[in-house]
Amino acid sequence: MIKITNLLKRYDEKVALDHLTLEIKAGTIFGLLGPNGAGKTTLISILNGLTKYNEGEVTVFGLPLDENLEAIRKRCALIPQTLAFYENLTVIENLNFFGGIQNIEKGLLKKNIEYAVETNRLGSMLHQRASTLSGGQKRRLNIAIGLLNDPDILFFDEPTVGIDPESRNEILETILSFKEANKTVIYTSHYMPEIEKICDEVAIINAGKIIKQGSIESMLTNESANQLIIEIYETPLATLESFCSKMNALTVVDESSLMLEGKESETVARALALLEAENVAVKNIRYGTTTLESLFINLTSKGRTDV
Amino acid sequence: MFKAMLIKEFLLVSRDKHALAALFIMPAVFILIMSLALKDVFNEDKALVEYAVVDKDNSLESFSVIAKLRANKMMNEHNISEDFSTPKEEGVQFIVVIPKGFKSQFSQSDANSSALQIEVASDIGQSHLMLFKTQILSSVMQVRLDAINLSREMQSGIRGEEVEVKKIELDEKNMMKIHYAALDEDEKPTSTQQSVPSWIVFGLFFVIIPMSTIFISERKQNTLMRLSTMNVSLPVLFGGKIIPYMLINQLQVWVMIAVGMFVVPLFGAAPLTIGGDISALIAVSLALSLSAIGLSILIAVTVDSVEQATTIGGIINILLGAIGGVMVPKFVMPDFMKEFANVSPMSWGLEGFLDVFLRRGTLSDVMYEVVGLMLFGLVSLIVAAGIFNYKIRRVA
Repeated sequence: MIKITNLLKRYDEKVALDHLTLEIKAGTIFGLLGPNGAGKTTLISILNGLTKYNEGEVTVFGLPLDENLEAIRKRCALIPQTLAFYENLTVIENLNFFGGIQNIEKGLLKKNIEYAVETNRLGSMLHQRASTLSGGQKRRLNIAIGLLNDPDILFFDEPTVGIDPESRNEILETILSFKEANKTVIYTSHYMPEIEKICDEVAIINAGKIIKQGSIESMLTNESANQLIIEIYETPLATLESFCSKMNALTVVDESSLMLEGKESETVARALALLEAENVAVKNIRYGTTTLESLFINLTSKGRTDV
Repeated sequence: MFKAMLIKEFLLVSRDKHALAALFIMPAVFILIMSLALKDVFNEDKALVEYAVVDKDNSLESFSVIAKLRANKMMNEHNISEDFSTPKEEGVQFIVVIPKGFKSQFSQSDANSSALQIEVASDIGQSHLMLFKTQILSSVMQVRLDAINLSREMQSGIRGEEVEVKKIELDEKNMMKIHYAALDEDEKPTSTQQSVPSWIVFGLFFVIIPMSTIFISERKQNTLMRLSTMNVSLPVLFGGKIIPYMLINQLQVWVMIAVGMFVVPLFGAAPLTIGGDISALIAVSLALSLSAIGLSILIAVTVDSVEQATTIGGIINILLGAIGGVMVPKFVMPDFMKEFANVSPMSWGLEGFLDVFLRRGTLSDVMYEVVGLMLFGLVSLIVAAGIFNYKIRRVA
């Protein structure tokens, strides 16, 4: 769906993207991770035709980006981090404006507005001014505007910044629903649990280069160390912490995972016996680091550069 | 605690360059412009009145009156031909025509037949006209008195007896006939007609503030970026700004005209009348609107925040008004300020409106101003487009 080959982007003397190569398959939710200044925004800007690049090749839907920008844009949507709509217009006025400006056929626009409203649960506030919406509702309106052209590719730039956990979960559920609609999502965020929750595949970008790419599972498994992750069925943290205190090598990661220091069979057997004694059912045991976050920090802290 | 508050406030103000500009630079520039514009009003050595004389009598009396006028430091005489045009085109405020037979009023009680004809530029205020008439009256009076004294001396010298002085009318109405250029006989421009054009021009340029404020919010919130990704081109984007604000500007013009026509008379002042063509009025207001909108967009793409737009927009508006003759009539400005006034589009707009309201201007009369204003607007928009593209690329 999106194929980037050897992409180079310079701002004067600074290299923002350094011969970057990346492929994103259709229908995936693709996480783009990287520290500030790594080149994520530049990459998203290039893919949306907002920034020109110096060298390389970019194709979207199999079409070269440069020559087919207008056609490609009609099938894509960018949902910026900022609330890019008009606060003094009502929800429906905003939707009508952003739909109307894209010259979408009237009947189709009506259908698309209905889809956007339904997907983002905005039906009860259509005639409310955007300025009076809550933070989460505003974020949903921001996403709804991106759905008006029924895009095949959605670019999300940190869409959950500054909102409460409940609204965040609602937004993540909405994004997950796009997978069922066979839409491709390119998602940038600093919240690693979000990435882990919704993304099928992840690329970690640093100093304009992709330093790691693949499924989250493969990334965490391949990064083997003297540690094992024990995935369990969700158990209250207090319970987990109570029995982990009985074995030094065992620490709580979250409600559904524990980390075991050491992979010798004796250590593993002791830990499993302890879990069994506490009636905690084990789902899976795998090699790897604790979380995506620790992997991310580990990878990006090497030779960190702001561009 | 209070000390900390004071320090914080001084630090914040001292680092806000736009606040400093509004507090210090704007008043300083304003003082400079206004002082220069009004320089000659309070300078006794400088001429306040620009006039020309056409002498058709060529008599000793007419020469004497002209000589008296020339001796007056407040007035500056221009040379014009006998087939003169309007005062505006001749570059003067008043044209005095001394008719053939003028000298007879020095010997007849009825001066009506040989009254001076004074052609007045229609944007001249009543106080300025009064000043000029007083100077004319004074000059004619002096010449008359000189003539009477000479006559008495001569007669008493010859016959050695008192001479009976003929009663001569000194009625101003009989001594001079005032005519405002482009207006009917006995028709006078009203203060409403003279002031409304200035406030229309000023009001139209206030579009800078709401327009740039909305534009900057759109830019800051990435709404403009979002519109770009929706294939909205720059001409569509700018066009979407120009047309609504142009309509708002037209509404402003007609609301202000309606106030002049219907509300002002309720308070005892003369109503506004439109002497010129409606087509000329529409052309000037559309062109003026384009220049105001062009400038607004240029400011909006140049500055970085709503606060900057409000401050800079307000400052530019006031300064353009001060330079362009909105706050101080151009006829009281010294020559170099009159020239300088032409850099302000408000000056072109004002001249266009004065042509329509006071000089019965037609479309062809205002064409020069209309073309100038449109060019200013278009150039501003082109520069704004260049800056906008550069900034969007840099931000992305």
